[in-house]
Amino acid sequence: MVRNESYKTPRFSLRQLDSLLGYVLVAPLVCCILLLVIYPFFFAIYISFTDRVIGSEGEFVGFANYLAIVQKPDFQASISNTIVLVGAVQSIKLFIGLGLAVLLNQNIRARFFWRGLILLPWAMPAFVAFITWKLLFAPQGGAFNYILINLDLVTTHVDFLSRDLAMPSVITASVWRGFPFWVISFLAAMQNIPRELYESAALDGANAWQRFLHITMPGIRHVVLVVILISTIWTTNSFEAVWLMTGGGPSNATMTFPVLAYYGLQSLRIGEAAAVSVSMLPVFAVLALIVAVNLQRED
Amino acid sequence: MKRFTTTKLFFGVTLLLLGMLALTPALAQEKFVYWGGLIFSEAANNLFVERVEQWGEENNIDVEVVMINQNETVQTVSAAIEAGTMPDALDLGRDFMLLLSQQDQLVALNDLYAEIGEAHGGWLESAESLVTSEEFEDNIYGIPYATNGNVLYRRNDLLEPAGYAEAPETWEELGEMARAVNDPPNVYSMSFALSNVGDGNLTTTMLQSWGGRIADDDGVNCTIDSEETRAFLEWITTAYADGLFPPGATTWDGAGDNTAYQSGQAVFIANPGSVRNYLVENDPELAEATLFSALPAGPAMRISPVNTVVRSIPVTSEKQDLAADLIAYLADDEFIAEYYSSAIYGPALVSHQEAPIFAESAVHAGLLDLALNGTPGAFPDKTNAAFAEYQTNFLTPRMIQRIVIDSISIDDAIAETQEACQAIYDKYQ
Repeated sequence: MVRNESYKTPRFSLRQLDSLLGYVLVAPLVCCILLLVIYPFFFAIYISFTDRVIGSEGEFVGFANYLAIVQKPDFQASISNTIVLVGAVQSIKLFIGLGLAVLLNQNIRARFFWRGLILLPWAMPAFVAFITWKLLFAPQGGAFNYILINLDLVTTHVDFLSRDLAMPSVITASVWRGFPFWVISFLAAMQNIPRELYESAALDGANAWQRFLHITMPGIRHVVLVVILISTIWTTNSFEAVWLMTGGGPSNATMTFPVLAYYGLQSLRIGEAAAVSVSMLPVFAVLALIVAVNLQRED
Repeated sequence: MKRFTTTKLFFGVTLLLLGMLALTPALAQEKFVYWGGLIFSEAANNLFVERVEQWGEENNIDVEVVMINQNETVQTVSAAIEAGTMPDALDLGRDFMLLLSQQDQLVALNDLYAEIGEAHGGWLESAESLVTSEEFEDNIYGIPYATNGNVLYRRNDLLEPAGYAEAPETWEELGEMARAVNDPPNVYSMSFALSNVGDGNLTTTMLQSWGGRIADDDGVNCTIDSEETRAFLEWITTAYADGLFPPGATTWDGAGDNTAYQSGQAVFIANPGSVRNYLVENDPELAEATLFSALPAGPAMRISPVNTVVRSIPVTSEKQDLAADLIAYLADDEFIAEYYSSAIYGPALVSHQEAPIFAESAVHAGLLDLALNGTPGAFPDKTNAAFAEYQTNFLTPRMIQRIVIDSISIDDAIAETQEACQAIYDKYQ
């Protein structure tokens, strides 16, 4: 047998070339992610350890920014307010989301119209939504006060953005803007549950509540968990609702982390502002980890 | 072969996109970019844009004018500095100019300042003192184009029948008048913001007129903890408790007092003039019933802060000569006279006092009076970066909120504010 000297073994197999092309194709995206996500992320952490002011490099100050902010009453208020805001908003959205999703999953008249209508608050730009809510709540010239006074339900203006009512008002507006995402997500998950399961359960004598508890909930539990976690991250980071409606006030009644960070930026002290933002990271990291694990499990 | 073509195509498109990305800033740099200060008068904003564009046409320069909401200048400029996308020239408030100059972000404009001053009969003392104070170390980083400050509006149709035909001379007198005509929920007399917005810093002016001081004469140590501050806080928190302030004043945004007055539900407001513009166009009856005066005096003195807005050139601009030429062009007497007739400003230059609007409109006459007789900047405090940061953190209105909202004692609120204030001043030592 004569060996063919002109034949050369390919340097890469077809499979390797395929993989290589795959890497090449995703490379620009990976570069973008590195540039736009990873770099700013670590840069923000770095800045939080400096006394950087806008326009100057700043010097490394260790934990000085963190020590300074934890002593501020604003920071302490922002911890409790953020917990209250997120806890209340998520609980109410879960309740409304599940209720409306179950309703829209029924054979009700014009259900496609209702499904579209539900999406409206979600489709509205956040700043328009929250400024509108602020105008509705305004003591002078606000629609709610106008109605209450003209119906003789109150004799003087109700300050919906006062110390006691500001947080409930912000929660109301945040729920209104955010619940459609929950409804649509839950509805999509419910539509994947086979009808036969409900029919069999009905034949076995299960009532509506039992069907919801033993068929619907297990069928959508992964979606519920992921929606809760993702929405928790969004709400914790939410800036517009508080800023546009109360600016964190009155006093510190609605001060949250993002608003506090923004105040830091107004003084050009981005080191301090970054420290406020970065101090939320451990919470987000845990939430993000839980989301990732659950998504992986679902796969 | 097919795969090879796909790969080539992919690389080609990627390179093209990267090339376009690289070229975009270069192309954008071709234009002369000006960030103008957006104000509440559309007519004034349009006049300004047209004037800059006219300069561009006359000099064959491609200009881009971007009007920036003055409430968002700090955020916009901060982001631009970090991103390296500052314009060739921009309008700034005086306090922000001070902060930027201390970060070496602005070009010194001493020659241009002298040239414009000479061409227009000199600078008014108030404007000059604000841009030449010692913090600038003999440099001038902004060319004033107007002065501004608050004028007291009052509802004469409500006050005169109650026996108050004249403007209040003191804040205490204002309080007395306010109590006489207060009629909630229809009318809340003292519609002054107590919230975390610029308008809320009127309370710092009040505090100073009571004899209170934010810091000592050197501008180093905070001196909020004083009997004068206590007396002021007693007065204002009693007025709040008596229902003279409208509900919501502690969370108002920058338009809160405007809205209250325009809806006929306020007796007194302090405003630069935008409300007057609105009333003349939309509610002539209320405009007729409105009278204007200087801010009242406190037990210690009368403080009528006058500030200035300036045009500056960032150090990053590659067209600094053009920017200087444009700034001189914008100081033209004829243009400024037309601009002031729609805007809500007082003059900064001697020749600009001659604008007809200062003789025609009561509120503009008040702004001219403020430019000539007002107290510049932080007076009696030292106008420095620490004071500017104190104000941008709204520590005086927040001190009041702590008492009226959180119900802490006056002493505790003062102690807390003193500590927060000193922490700010310490940063600048």
